[in-house]
Amino acid sequence: MLKPSFSDLLKSSFRSILKNKSRTILTSLGIIIGVTSVILLTSIGNGLKKYVTDQFDALGANSIFISPGKIFNDNGGFSQSSMATAMTTSFTQKDYNLLKRKLKNSVVMPVNATYADVKSNQAIKKAIEIDGSTEEYGASNNVVPSEGNGRWFTNEENDKKTPVVVLGNKIADTLFPKSSAVGKKIIIKGKSLKVVGVVDKKGASMGGPSVDDAVYAPFSIVADLAGKEDINTFVVKAPNKDSIESTKKEITKVMLEKYDKDAFSVFDSSQLLNSINSIISVLTIGLTGIAAISLVVGGIGIMNIMLVSVTERTREIGLRKAIGAYPRAILIQFLIEAVILSCIGGATGVLLGYLGTLAIKSFFPAQVTLSSVILAFGVSSLVGIIFGVAPARKASKLSPIEALRYE
Amino acid sequence: MTKSLSQNNSKVILELKNITKKYTTGTNQFAALDNVNLKIYEGEFVSITGPSGSGKSTLMHIIGLLDNPTSGEVLLNGRDISKLKEHQLAQIRNVTLGFVFQQFNLLAKTSSLENVLLPLLYSDVPKRDRPKMGMDLLTKVGLQNKVNNTPAQLSGGQQQRVAIARALVNNPKIILADEPTGNLDSKSGEEVMKFFHQLNEEEGRTIVFVTHDMDLAKQADRTIIIKDGKISEAKHA
Repeated sequence: MLKPSFSDLLKSSFRSILKNKSRTILTSLGIIIGVTSVILLTSIGNGLKKYVTDQFDALGANSIFISPGKIFNDNGGFSQSSMATAMTTSFTQKDYNLLKRKLKNSVVMPVNATYADVKSNQAIKKAIEIDGSTEEYGASNNVVPSEGNGRWFTNEENDKKTPVVVLGNKIADTLFPKSSAVGKKIIIKGKSLKVVGVVDKKGASMGGPSVDDAVYAPFSIVADLAGKEDINTFVVKAPNKDSIESTKKEITKVMLEKYDKDAFSVFDSSQLLNSINSIISVLTIGLTGIAAISLVVGGIGIMNIMLVSVTERTREIGLRKAIGAYPRAILIQFLIEAVILSCIGGATGVLLGYLGTLAIKSFFPAQVTLSSVILAFGVSSLVGIIFGVAPARKASKLSPIEALRYE
Repeated sequence: MTKSLSQNNSKVILELKNITKKYTTGTNQFAALDNVNLKIYEGEFVSITGPSGSGKSTLMHIIGLLDNPTSGEVLLNGRDISKLKEHQLAQIRNVTLGFVFQQFNLLAKTSSLENVLLPLLYSDVPKRDRPKMGMDLLTKVGLQNKVNNTPAQLSGGQQQRVAIARALVNNPKIILADEPTGNLDSKSGEEVMKFFHQLNEEEGRTIVFVTHDMDLAKQADRTIIIKDGKISEAKHA
């Protein structure tokens, strides 16, 4: 049986910790900072992952992308050479016709893009990406304007090169701050285009262009604006989820007839998602590891103060031993004090990390996960045990006579 | 002394056989205790005295099982305890011995009651029985009104009485006191000594106390005078 009982040990440990409140807070500070940063960083990492996943879900399920260049390396990561090849290569109308003919069950959408200044009679936005595609693209990418905000463009308009555009929510507000953009004219590269629809607000985006900033036009219009018929990407909508893999194989077969295997990439959103998520994970783990160093520093702080405490309480230790405390009772008492100190730090850190996450949530995707809380709290308790052992052993090994004599 | 005690009829509670304790400082070795033989009988009131540096503290530590002799045997109730492990000695100290110190050694910022109950933390006494035991003892030493006071709120004499209550809480056979009056004014010192006599005469507890004060030492049934690590005189009062 443990003597003293665990509750007695807890009680006396709390008592001695509370005798020195300011010291307790200062000692726990290292652990508090460590745990707070671990929680914040993992929350941001998890939030980013969730955000990216949501974005990809919004891209539409069952979508397969065909891009020029080798985007993925053999391990599923991004290929080093992708950027260079992607810049220089593009697909042609012939590829489009070939794919359309071969993939009878899927919808094939060509996508091209150009950059230009966009002007209205009220404002100008410089260097905007204008994406061109077909009628099917709107539904496939979830960007068809809702009722009352106009419509998406049709394939007929594409064929006839009718000058129409669909604007993202934010850019529409910028160009036409006072009234609805639908039905108004905008000017791109001297060409007048009619706004037929405004996409619903999609919310904040990380870094790259968001749907809210996008300008969509029929493929033929963008080809005219860019001055070339090149196709940047194909989006292929597979009939259902189960046919994604077989469709990808089919596409690869078709493309290999014309291109070298390193000249193009066929991938679906889950593949891209996995690659991005693995990058985010590596970043999160790396940053969290750096934050965890402060946990070690905090642990050293606890060890330091516990050693001071053992010295200060030499007489108390001697007395306890004289009246019957066996060495292990003293060891456990001081160990518990160290663990309580680190747990106070851990709990405060978890709370601060949680509040911090709530605070940054409004402008940055962040999400506290139970696993990160358990991990951070567990590690901080472990730090308390590891760094508490040395002072506790020192206390338990004090000779009662020496200790009682100590002034 | 009023009380006569026949050593021959009484049981030996603690016996030291050929106890030597050597300390090494640098290359010098000196014997704080040199081949000491000593018997303490149950119910005896013994004082240990001698000039400073004579080895009386070392003797006290060995009797109190706080220190191991370099050689020799310590017999408690006939059992050799000099080879026991530290945790076994701790348990014997807890239930058989009660300590009273010159410096009181009460825990600061801790109530009288909790100070008295401290040894029980390391005993098998059920938790629910503890507070009453502490209250009874504080009443016995006349501090029933100071139960929740911390040492800082008590006079020296009161603090030493709390310490005596603490020494008694496990109902030990032997009380060991190291200069128990050394930090007290003469009136408080007398009270403490009176209390020791009471514990000895009314409850039959064995009392061993160390003092450098010859007058105080004479109050005991027997005074052991130690000099240069040897018992030079053992006389009956």
